[in-house]
Amino acid sequence: MKLDLGKPSLVRRLVVLAGVWNLVVLLLAGTFLTAQFREAAIRRFDQSLAVLTDDLYAGSSVEDGRVKAPFLTDIRATRAYSGRYWQILALRPNGKLAMIEQSRSLFDIMLAIPAVQADRLAAAPGKTLFFDLPGPQNRPLRAAAILTRLPGFEGPVVFIAAEDRSPIDADASRFARITAIALLILGLGLISAVVVQVRVGLAPLFRLRREVASVRRGKSERLSHAYPVELEPLAVELNALLAHNQDVVERQRTHVGNLAHALKTPLSVMLTEASQRPGALAEVVTRQADVMREQVDHHLRRARAAARSQTSGERTPVEPILDELAVTLEQIFQDKGVEIDWRCPEDLCFQGERQDLMELAGNVMENAGKWCRGKVRAVAEGVSGERLRLIVDDDGPGLPADRWADALKRGQRMDENAPGSGLGLSIVDELARAYGGSVTLDASPLGGLRVVLELPRAGG
Amino acid sequence: MRILLVEDDPDLSRQLKLALADAGYAVDHAPDGEEAQFLGETEPYDAVILDLGLPKVDGVSVLERWRRGSVATPVLILTARGSWNEKVAGFDAGADDYLTKPFHTEELLARLRALLRRSAGHASPSLSCGGLRLDPRAARASVNGEPLRLTSLEYRLLHYMIMHQGRVIGRTELVEHLYDQDFDRDSNTIEVFIGRLRKKLGSDRIETVRGLGYRLTALEGETSE
Repeated sequence: MKLDLGKPSLVRRLVVLAGVWNLVVLLLAGTFLTAQFREAAIRRFDQSLAVLTDDLYAGSSVEDGRVKAPFLTDIRATRAYSGRYWQILALRPNGKLAMIEQSRSLFDIMLAIPAVQADRLAAAPGKTLFFDLPGPQNRPLRAAAILTRLPGFEGPVVFIAAEDRSPIDADASRFARITAIALLILGLGLISAVVVQVRVGLAPLFRLRREVASVRRGKSERLSHAYPVELEPLAVELNALLAHNQDVVERQRTHVGNLAHALKTPLSVMLTEASQRPGALAEVVTRQADVMREQVDHHLRRARAAARSQTSGERTPVEPILDELAVTLEQIFQDKGVEIDWRCPEDLCFQGERQDLMELAGNVMENAGKWCRGKVRAVAEGVSGERLRLIVDDDGPGLPADRWADALKRGQRMDENAPGSGLGLSIVDELARAYGGSVTLDASPLGGLRVVLELPRAGG
Repeated sequence: MRILLVEDDPDLSRQLKLALADAGYAVDHAPDGEEAQFLGETEPYDAVILDLGLPKVDGVSVLERWRRGSVATPVLILTARGSWNEKVAGFDAGADDYLTKPFHTEELLARLRALLRRSAGHASPSLSCGGLRLDPRAARASVNGEPLRLTSLEYRLLHYMIMHQGRVIGRTELVEHLYDQDFDRDSNTIEVFIGRLRKKLGSDRIETVRGLGYRLTALEGETSE
């Protein structure tokens, strides 16, 4: 299915909504996970620093009013700038920190404890605090510090253990990267699941569209009712609309028929009255009544043809129609002894209404019956999956080729004594056109006129 | 000749009565379906002119009731409803001819004359095979009293078969009796017609004898008269 970006699309809307929601949720989850990881790593780091400060504190002693640091075995604290440091400071009454002793790894640099942290230490004696601070060679350090007193030493002492924190930062960013990649894959997976879900979920909607299209093309009469509960009411409504349309057309036809009946009886009265009182007036009345009859016929059939284009497709089997018409026409022409030989495949169906096919074939076959010398042949066959053809031949006098076009035209007041004259074939032409079909005339192998009617065929 | 005119329009009725009387017919008039049905069933008319759009009971129903009640009087339908659909329905109901309004009086009289001429001299010996019956003079066929609607070719084929009922008739023989000329003698022509006859008669009456042809027989339990 194509997504036309210029128009609102349900599929796009659902996919975009789900995509945005997924993005937000995954971003939040990623941030939360990374923060958790970082925090846990720092906590573990802090713990080992706290052990170091405890060791410092526990191992320190005071000799002669001087603090003596314990001997720590950690090799890293002895190598210069190894990344692991410690320091013992004295807090002077003026608030300044004075160095007492420090790890050899610090070489000649004193750790710069930020003033804020110094104040916090002073405010919470005996409590281990953790903070960041800049270290030698601009390495960021993590430090644990405790302010306490040593027996025999005047004033509080601060023990600090610090370590290069870049390994945790590296770990944390690696974790963040991996999490981002994992969540990205998850997000893509979710979006493709949504796309699949939407397509599968909306499939009945697309099926509905195809069904409506096939009703419009006349392939089926109504929609099936096998739709999910959300779409079923729509299908039911559409079917009701179709039924209503058919109803309207049917009513129109009834009105048209009633009008015919209402007008034709008075016309008969006028004609009969005129025939019983010969004279100039009677001649005018007869002539005008004939014109009126022709007009009524023409316009009523026009109305039928127009009404027809609004109806939805119906399938009409051709065979029974030809049978009924053949029997009826032989009876109509029985004085003349017309023999109608017809052929039609049993499964051939006309795409349209029964009475219209009756009218089309009836008029063509009646015309043949009128002009034949005794034989009429009607052969119906499928031309393609979409078209069918009815060929009607007679063995009458035929019609010269230069009059074929006129025979189909209305208003051409033709000589009533020639085949194809009268209203018959022009009505057939109009009705066939309303169905998107055609009528053509030709010379018949039987000697008379051949009428070829092409009409839409209903697929099997 | 006695004619029943069934027409509800008073002006047209008056005119037609006049025209028919002028032509020498005795005319009874029924203005609605009920009266028409009653008169048709009780009086021996030679022909009926029947309008279809009638008060009380419509013309086609009247005609159907007559035919079911074996009233065989020839009927000319006179109606404003001239579509093929309606014409076929009229003939189906048992009409003998059909004239669409508005019409010229001369045409009505000519049709009526032809109708009377055709119906004269009925009562011919009929052919039968079980419940199937053929009336060769009127070229009509019926099964168990139900009239069949056959085209002339179908009738001709059936007529030949009933004349030779019980015997197996080959395809060539059948096609020779179906067409008087040489055209359209392709092999499946007979199959097509046999298929149609079976549809109309019921499929059991015509038996296929493989390789030989067809045989028309009475059904079991039926006796040929």
